[in-house]
Amino acid sequence: MPATENATPQNEIVNRLDTAVSEVFEMMLERSCDPLDGDVTIVDGRIMARIQFTGAITGECILYASQATAEVTAEALLGAVSQPCDPMVDDAIGELCNMIAGGWKNKLEHPQASCLISVPAVTREGLIGLEGKFGTKFSRTYSFQGNVFGILLAF
Amino acid sequence: MRALIIDDSAVMRKVIERALRQAGLELTEVLQASNGEEALQALRDDGGKPHPLSLILSDINMPIMDGLQFLEQRRDEKLAVGVPVVMITTEGSEPLVLRAISAGAQGYICKPFTAEQVKARVLPLLRVA
Repeated sequence: MPATENATPQNEIVNRLDTAVSEVFEMMLERSCDPLDGDVTIVDGRIMARIQFTGAITGECILYASQATAEVTAEALLGAVSQPCDPMVDDAIGELCNMIAGGWKNKLEHPQASCLISVPAVTREGLIGLEGKFGTKFSRTYSFQGNVFGILLAF
Repeated sequence: MRALIIDDSAVMRKVIERALRQAGLELTEVLQASNGEEALQALRDDGGKPHPLSLILSDINMPIMDGLQFLEQRRDEKLAVGVPVVMITTEGSEPLVLRAISAGAQGYICKPFTAEQVKARVLPLLRVA
């Protein structure tokens, strides 16, 4: 991450993330979504989506959720009930991560806002190997209608 | 009317289609592509059909061929000439918007979006086209 972005106060980075999450939920899922204190408890079978930032910023945004939260997210996006093992569930979590990471990036000042973002990669193999690459991390948990998910920004 | 929606996310293709219907568009057929290459092939296959496409909506960030490459290749091959293209993407940086417009996009919508925003961007293009 460039030196100028390193100097960004932590609360500014987190505030941008909170705003990005809120906008995505209000506009795309027609629900409110609020930050929680503390980390999400590890859930078996949880799904993770990752977006990488390259260029003016090097880092990643990881969104992780339980199967139940992922299914509710897919239903809210699609306006229809998801089926068991529906590939749309993973797709929905990837797209949720994509919109949140993109929204966060678009709120940065120039030149950081010109960084590129990857397409989302979705996995069910855990965070191992995904979160150890970068030194600076911001972890945040959110809840919508009792459904909890976490976001990790790492640079 | 017929539309082509290009996005690597099947969920997002459905969300966009729903937004178009909420905007009041009477869609008789929605072609779908998950990247620019598939979209180009769909346009090549669609050439000469009695009811041509009325609208193309495309993401930018996609594997295999992104939305900007799609726009440029479409222009070079003169595919679906005159059909308005609206980009729907998380990429909101000014250089990308300018590149999309110079490659032939007539509209630009940033994700996340509301159905009202889709309506406001798309309907004026259809009246002109």
